Amino acid sequence: MSHYVYAVLTEPPRGDAGAGLDAEPLRFVPVAGVLAAVGDMAARPAVSPATLRAHDAVVRRLAAVVDAILPVRFGTLLDGERALADALAARAPRLRAALALVAGREQMTLRVFGEPGPVAPAEPPPGELGPGTRYLEGRLRRAHRDAAVPELGPLRPWLAPLVRAEAAQRHDAAPLLASVYHLVDRGTAPAYLEAVAAGAPALAPVRASATGPWPPYAFAAEQLG
Amino acid sequence: MSPAREEARAVLEQADASLLEVVDNLLNKGVVLSGDVMVGLAGVDLIYLRLSLLLCAADRVLEERRG
Repeated sequence: MSHYVYAVLTEPPRGDAGAGLDAEPLRFVPVAGVLAAVGDMAARPAVSPATLRAHDAVVRRLAAVVDAILPVRFGTLLDGERALADALAARAPRLRAALALVAGREQMTLRVFGEPGPVAPAEPPPGELGPGTRYLEGRLRRAHRDAAVPELGPLRPWLAPLVRAEAAQRHDAAPLLASVYHLVDRGTAPAYLEAVAAGAPALAPVRASATGPWPPYAFAAEQLG
Repeated sequence: MSPAREEARAVLEQADASLLEVVDNLLNKGVVLSGDVMVGLAGVDLIYLRLSLLLCAADRVLEERRG
């Protein structure tokens, strides 16, 4: 039987988190100082609206009864305890660091809409570097450029008191310019939504819409991707 | 069309705004532990592209309703 992984935790749930998306019992497997929340499945679930929502519901129920949770991508099925242990143990230090970041926090998502402006080219790497280093340095600089969302500048003073960490991704599908993921303390989502509403007029002609709270999906990727 | 693309199309044809957020969260973010890659990369890219487009469309619809 394979293990379908929903999340990585620091400690067992304080209360009942219910069953998995296939109504299977949830188990919590300790590996290298973290816990994997898993359900036993013979095969991975098909991608459908129902299974995606069911996976998300399991993660949300878990998030409600633990302080720190790293959601795992849909469809992660590992072949037995050994594969699970190998996957977690190899990443344990980064998992623990990511869990410390998200403890007591949750995610808000901002979609930024507008007309795309000219994209500044990434600054070229210094010429004295070797070809391999120049290539990697160039990739790093492009990644930093793509994660920047200067359009949000006028909104940042409104959000700064609430935001504990940020992840962002620019898109090539205008008018959707970027998705920005903010980690906020649990219980402050209403204040975050109010801050977005209050600061949004200053963004014009760019617009932003906020959703949440969500489990910290983006911050699992930010730490471990 | 590959099975992954067929699955992606089936999801997106039924998508609403909350489902699109779930798709974004579950298929593009999260810890990737390894093991089997269950949704082919092409399928994920397709879903993400469609997610972006559909979010744009949803935003325009909401703007029209507000207006």
